Amino acid sequence: MSKLKPPISGQLEEEFKAQSPMMEVWSMFCRNITAMIGLVIVLIVLFAAIFGPTLYPGDPFEMVWAPFSRPGEEGYLLGTDYLGRDLTTLLVHGARVSILIGLSAALLTVLIGITVGAVAGYYKGWVEELLMRITEFFQVLPTLLFSMVIVALFGASLPMITFAIGVVSWPPVARVTRAEFLRIRELEYVTAARASGVSNFKIIFRTILPNALPPIIVQAALMVGSAILFEAGLSFLGLTDPNVVSWGQIIGSNRQYILDSSYTVTIPGLAIFITVLAISLVGDGLNDALNPKLRKR
Amino acid sequence: MKNTLVRLATVATLSGTLAVTSALVSSMLVSSALADAPKSGGTLIAAMGTNVRNLNPAVQSGIVTGFPGSQLFAAPLRYDEDWTPQPYLAESWDISDDGLTVTLNLVKNAVFHDGEPVTSEDVAFSVDVIKEHHPFKSMFAPVESVDTPDEHTAILNLSQPHPALMLAMSGQLMAIIPKHIYGDGEDPKTHPRNTENVIGSGPFKLTEYKSGEHVILERFDDFFIEGRPYLDKMVLRIIPDPAARTIALESGEVDFAAFEVAPQNINRLKEVEGLTVTSEGYGAIGPIDWLALNTTRGPLQDKRVRQAIAYAVDKNFIHKAIQRGTAKDAPTGIHPDSPFHNPDVEKYEVDLDKANALLDEAGHEAGADGTRFGLTIDFGWGELKPNAEYVRGALKKVGIDVTVRASADFPTWAKRMGDMDYDMSWDTVFNWGDPVIGVHRTYLSSNIGKGVWSNTQGYSNERVDELLDMASKEPDADKRKALYTEFQQIVADEVPVYFSNTLPYHTVYSDKVGNPPLGIWSTSSPMDMTYLK
Repeated sequence: MSKLKPPISGQLEEEFKAQSPMMEVWSMFCRNITAMIGLVIVLIVLFAAIFGPTLYPGDPFEMVWAPFSRPGEEGYLLGTDYLGRDLTTLLVHGARVSILIGLSAALLTVLIGITVGAVAGYYKGWVEELLMRITEFFQVLPTLLFSMVIVALFGASLPMITFAIGVVSWPPVARVTRAEFLRIRELEYVTAARASGVSNFKIIFRTILPNALPPIIVQAALMVGSAILFEAGLSFLGLTDPNVVSWGQIIGSNRQYILDSSYTVTIPGLAIFITVLAISLVGDGLNDALNPKLRKR
Repeated sequence: MKNTLVRLATVATLSGTLAVTSALVSSMLVSSALADAPKSGGTLIAAMGTNVRNLNPAVQSGIVTGFPGSQLFAAPLRYDEDWTPQPYLAESWDISDDGLTVTLNLVKNAVFHDGEPVTSEDVAFSVDVIKEHHPFKSMFAPVESVDTPDEHTAILNLSQPHPALMLAMSGQLMAIIPKHIYGDGEDPKTHPRNTENVIGSGPFKLTEYKSGEHVILERFDDFFIEGRPYLDKMVLRIIPDPAARTIALESGEVDFAAFEVAPQNINRLKEVEGLTVTSEGYGAIGPIDWLALNTTRGPLQDKRVRQAIAYAVDKNFIHKAIQRGTAKDAPTGIHPDSPFHNPDVEKYEVDLDKANALLDEAGHEAGADGTRFGLTIDFGWGELKPNAEYVRGALKKVGIDVTVRASADFPTWAKRMGDMDYDMSWDTVFNWGDPVIGVHRTYLSSNIGKGVWSNTQGYSNERVDELLDMASKEPDADKRKALYTEFQQIVADEVPVYFSNTLPYHTVYSDKVGNPPLGIWSTSSPMDMTYLK
């Protein structure tokens, strides 16, 4: 890319040459202030998810104090909930589950999406037709309703919730992947690879996929946020494992007290809101950094 | 599938465990006769928390049907707040000395909403329909036949004395339905007239029924009690969200709601000026929250383990923190407002040492990590989830590792209970007036595993079976009470069920409302005496 730029000064040229593509993306990302704010928040949440349970050890479900003591009172930073459980501990332990589900559901989404999209985009013809009709079938299903059905039928365990989220959210990834593959498969280096007898499998995963990744990475980042929201929605409706804390579950089980103890709902609600916003900002920043057309601006 | 759902929905209403409902009605009280003499006219706006799907209480149980159903249909008797039967459709009644025939003398001027007279034929027909289609089989099981010597006399012939019959002839339990409409050969359970153009002989007639929205009732001018009802119109609005109902009551959009159950909303409404909030009026409904223990499997087969659980659970916490002072203690399976209630039983005040000792004695020594064994806990509906979570915490202290099991929906839970596929479960069960109707079903060994709200504990005790059998046909009230006293002591000792509290049903009404239904049947009774000031 840097070669296309007119040499403004020798020094600058040197600077550009010295950067690897990854570093270049990173420096673009760093220049985006909102994305950096997002990244910092995401790191804080990750920190809480990983080390929080060590800082606040013990069973988050333990009833430690009188129910509904307000935030700050009685030495409990965020107060206690309807059974007198410490909201701070619940929130920190809930972060782990929410993030874990967000990440693993996004991973599942991306795996299914890439596989379907890549195969459809590479082989074209009836394979593409078939896979895309299946994708559309999943796309028109109301996602929350469909995942509720899955959880209701097969039980509300964490793996099942992750599966339910993954299985309903992959169509957009599949479509983006397919579009990229349709574009890239016609490029000369792919033709060259095919001419020199490289296997289809290698072409798909070694030649095309790395070049198709940027938009998929952005999509995946956003997927983490929406998976967290999804899990919160399911938990709010009570479709969750009651033996595990998650943010949505805290909201769901406290929602009947919203009229007089709104903080028990507001605090985990804010946690979800801020986390998902931060992830979206990071995704947006990645999009800007990875998109060469924008980079020229 | 659909049939299953319908059936389960019916079962749901059956014990009326639908968490919240609301309504209004008339108290049996002759009004305070002071400054507020009842006056006629006006429209009462009431809120109901659950959608009603069937307006005919002869085939559909549950408090949701009971509210509109008791306005549309009259029963032979009504009860005052002291549990004394009063004339209603029957102006007088007579029980033979051997207790084997009950004669009802009907009022002469009663007509259905379509102008047809109410006759003893309709009574006989209604008993047949209820016997066959109502889920509470014990209500009329001993009724062998109904004789109709003349238009206004119905004689019920019994196979054995049946003291529960009196309560079973009141409230919503014995709606007299017109034979000329329901006797057309169609299945009464799914009869189209259960929801449209419903004809009864109650104080109000149906104007409009919109499922999920409202039921509008209008004064029946030819009602058999002169000058009643006082209200011109009743609008029962269906508002499922408890918070929305609270706000509607606060803003005066709604004047009346019964069966309010969320403690935080009850306490909030108590603070509102111009509203009265009371727990009176639910004695015959008799709802009790309890923890059912499956006595047929695992460590729970041992009485000592069940007792240990009872000692480990702190009832005070449930009363104060979860129910927030809105509920009464319920130490036995008979509601504390019932004349048969026996408060003198083991109450299981929290005692962790005793609980630990009992568990040790039962051979469940704590392992290296302090855990003795694991159990699961279910809950019937969202309102009981805090109870389940609390029990997990409480039993952890004595080394029982409890896993909370969520059910995706009500039918899932009902099936688990029916199949006795559970260790412990929070449940709410209604007394439904006489113990024969709503209490016996939980303890009779002949009723084990007959679906949700049967003897789902698998509890079997010969003496209990015997006591209940005797009580069901003991005409003398005092002797009957003695039988139930012993029964309650045995059950409290053996703990097939850990009794927690009465469901905190509350009636909320604005200052505009006079004579709200505060008798034993709440809104499952006619509201002909309610008026607007």
